[in-house]
Amino acid sequence: MNTVSLSARNVTKRYGGVVALSDGNLDVQSGEVVALLGANGSGKSTLSKVITGVIAPNEGRLHLDGRAVTFSSPQAAKSVGITAVYQELSLIPDMTVAENIWLAHEPRRWGIAVDHREMRARTQDLIALFAGTVQSSLHPDALVNSLPPDERQVVEILKALSLQPRLMILDEATASLDSRQVARLFELIAEWKRQGMAIVFVSHRMDEIFRVADRATVLRNGASVGDRVISETTEQELVELMIEGMVAPDSVQGGQLAPDAPVRLQVRNLHTDLLKGISFDLHDGELLGLGGLQGQGQSDLLLALFGAIPCGGQVLLSGQPAHFSHPQQAMQRGLAFVPGDRATEGVLLIRSILENLQLPSWRKYGFPLNMVRARADAGQVAQELSLVMESLDAPVSSLSGGNAQKVVLGKWLLRNPRVLLLNDPTKGVDVRTKVEFYALLNRLRAAGTAILFYSSDDEELLSLCNRVLVLHDGRIRAELAGETLNHANLVSASMGTTNASNGYE
Amino acid sequence: MIEAIQSLRQQSAQISPPVVALLLSILLFLAGGLINPNFLNVAQAVNIVRLASFLGIIAAGQTLVIISGGEGIDLSAGAVVTLGAILTFRLSSGQNDMILPALLVVLAVGAVIGFLNGVGIIVLQVPPLVMTLGMTGVVQGTILVLTQGELIGNMPPLLGRLIAEPLILGIPGVVILWVLVGLGMWLLLERTTYGKQLFAIGVNRTAARLSGVRVPFIVILTYTLSGVLAAFGGFVLLGFTQTVFLNLGGPYQFPAIAAVVVGGTVLSGGKGSYWGTMSGALVLTLIESLLRALQLQEAYKLMTLGITLVVLISIYGRQRSVRQ
Repeated sequence: MNTVSLSARNVTKRYGGVVALSDGNLDVQSGEVVALLGANGSGKSTLSKVITGVIAPNEGRLHLDGRAVTFSSPQAAKSVGITAVYQELSLIPDMTVAENIWLAHEPRRWGIAVDHREMRARTQDLIALFAGTVQSSLHPDALVNSLPPDERQVVEILKALSLQPRLMILDEATASLDSRQVARLFELIAEWKRQGMAIVFVSHRMDEIFRVADRATVLRNGASVGDRVISETTEQELVELMIEGMVAPDSVQGGQLAPDAPVRLQVRNLHTDLLKGISFDLHDGELLGLGGLQGQGQSDLLLALFGAIPCGGQVLLSGQPAHFSHPQQAMQRGLAFVPGDRATEGVLLIRSILENLQLPSWRKYGFPLNMVRARADAGQVAQELSLVMESLDAPVSSLSGGNAQKVVLGKWLLRNPRVLLLNDPTKGVDVRTKVEFYALLNRLRAAGTAILFYSSDDEELLSLCNRVLVLHDGRIRAELAGETLNHANLVSASMGTTNASNGYE
Repeated sequence: MIEAIQSLRQQSAQISPPVVALLLSILLFLAGGLINPNFLNVAQAVNIVRLASFLGIIAAGQTLVIISGGEGIDLSAGAVVTLGAILTFRLSSGQNDMILPALLVVLAVGAVIGFLNGVGIIVLQVPPLVMTLGMTGVVQGTILVLTQGELIGNMPPLLGRLIAEPLILGIPGVVILWVLVGLGMWLLLERTTYGKQLFAIGVNRTAARLSGVRVPFIVILTYTLSGVLAAFGGFVLLGFTQTVFLNLGGPYQFPAIAAVVVGGTVLSGGKGSYWGTMSGALVLTLIESLLRALQLQEAYKLMTLGITLVVLISIYGRQRSVRQ
């Protein structure tokens, strides 16, 4: 593989009056991994999209191997070896893994007919790179819509790799991966580095940046504000660069649970297609963590409790049976649920922030709806969440990811829920919003809300929760609390080993 | 200078489709004056609004169904309009005191048809296009069985007076009725829980469900309302035509859908308004009147109408891409 060097200088991108990027700068060359850091809305995605030809900048220059270049389209960038893996997936659900990976550059026989045998073989080779971290259901002929989110993300990475890029941008590409897949990806990145590939790594996870990157470029409010060599910097320093003027997020310490807190939710032998008998108690004012690898039944558990999927077993809410057949019933009994996929399950993108916040609550504003009161209530929650927005009438699509997530949570705060079910609420959310989020969870907990919290981020579970249930293959593999609640036990229980178990088989 | 033009273009891109449609209808009316000076007078304006009223009222239910998303469309509306008119004609038999009872029966029948559409779509999972197309056949068959090919009955004179003739200050009753329907639809869409939930299911049914919206209930209710409004449209139309025939409502089916779309309601659901549909109905009626004033042959009229629609919708499409 040839060497490559790319530098972006003073890149500017405006959308109408909104400046998405005012002074973007980035240098990357063969054999190095550069982390691109910044809070949501700081211009990371805009800068990476300029580099990959997805959007045309208003001003600024791109130099590839020392020569000035402009990309009129993503294809133009791909033709010189630049490609990207995005968090929002670009796969076609009804096509197979192989078809998706080779879409638009299928291996051909005599330059005409698609060579399916060759395509399958090459796909098999690509999948083999992640062998041991994916299930056997991931094969060249599997339909993409039959795959879990983490494996779709793997396919997305393989698709970028199939172009044999010289420069690859990984934009939040690890957000859906489990820890083994991330570890494998980092091994591969090390290998690609040796072969001379240049890699730009965009992530909100600080530990990953310190594991994989050589340098970090920090963006704030659309401008590059600093460049650091990873081995000579600290997490603290980078975070301060990102959110200058704010207090750095020391891990928010969870409060102690009152020993006499009443049991709010009692779950006994809950089962669904995926869950094989789950039992636990959730107390008032408790922040109970759910851990484990992706797709081990955590989502099912939350959905079943909220009445969104059918389930068997016994659930008691404040001692009363609470078997719901529709989320509306759960909602009326004081449950609230923040789903895992914001865009497809959480928000109405094209509708206003006001309508999104009030969606579960319109009924209480009578007929005709008392819009003055509805607006005032929504405004109050927006303020409480320090929602950064143009107005309550702006569509949710105009918000950054972190702020959109605040809307998803905000609609439930308007109902003062007694039980809050959270499905990985900080996934792909910037550091600043995460800190606000943790503080909010602590406030809710102190006010007596019972919270069941699934997170794919182990650090988050360890720093926020007093007790964590680790799910594996539809069962609770371990209950970690007090001394047993540490990273080693969390990881080993996630993998299905039993040495960390505490009263469970 | 260039910046001024750019900012003007950006501003114009932010005008909503209903406003575009309304401006267009005023422009078309003025254009009519250029073609034929007799076109430009109050009586003609009133007449056009009167004609647009029928289309607008018939398109009300269609607006709800299209907003509900999930490829929502009600192709049975035209047939239900016909059935509504025929039932009114027959049940009232020209007696003024039978108008109200006839209306109630008509609305109930419309409700049943719409309800069946909704149940087919939700319970049997039939796509709306297929379900309502099938329902068109059933309703047309019902009309034939009911009438045995003979259209017996009469229009109550009072109905004609209330609908077609000037009621207050020279404004025909149907126009006043249309304004009332407009107010009612605005209340329904913007000031009721149902309206808010309707937009929600139009955008994203999963997110709506997880926020406590009973999606199947809202969908069935929407198709039921569409049936009721179409049947009501038939009742009103009878006051204008004074007589009935077997394909009375048919010619309104596609213009009604076009009026909804021209008014800026998005075919994929979740975004739109009834006042947009009202503007759309005005635009379509004006185009039609203009083409008639030009004395074009029917074939050319149809072609022009079709091309105008495509051009208009493509402008909306461009607007969206400008905004993103």
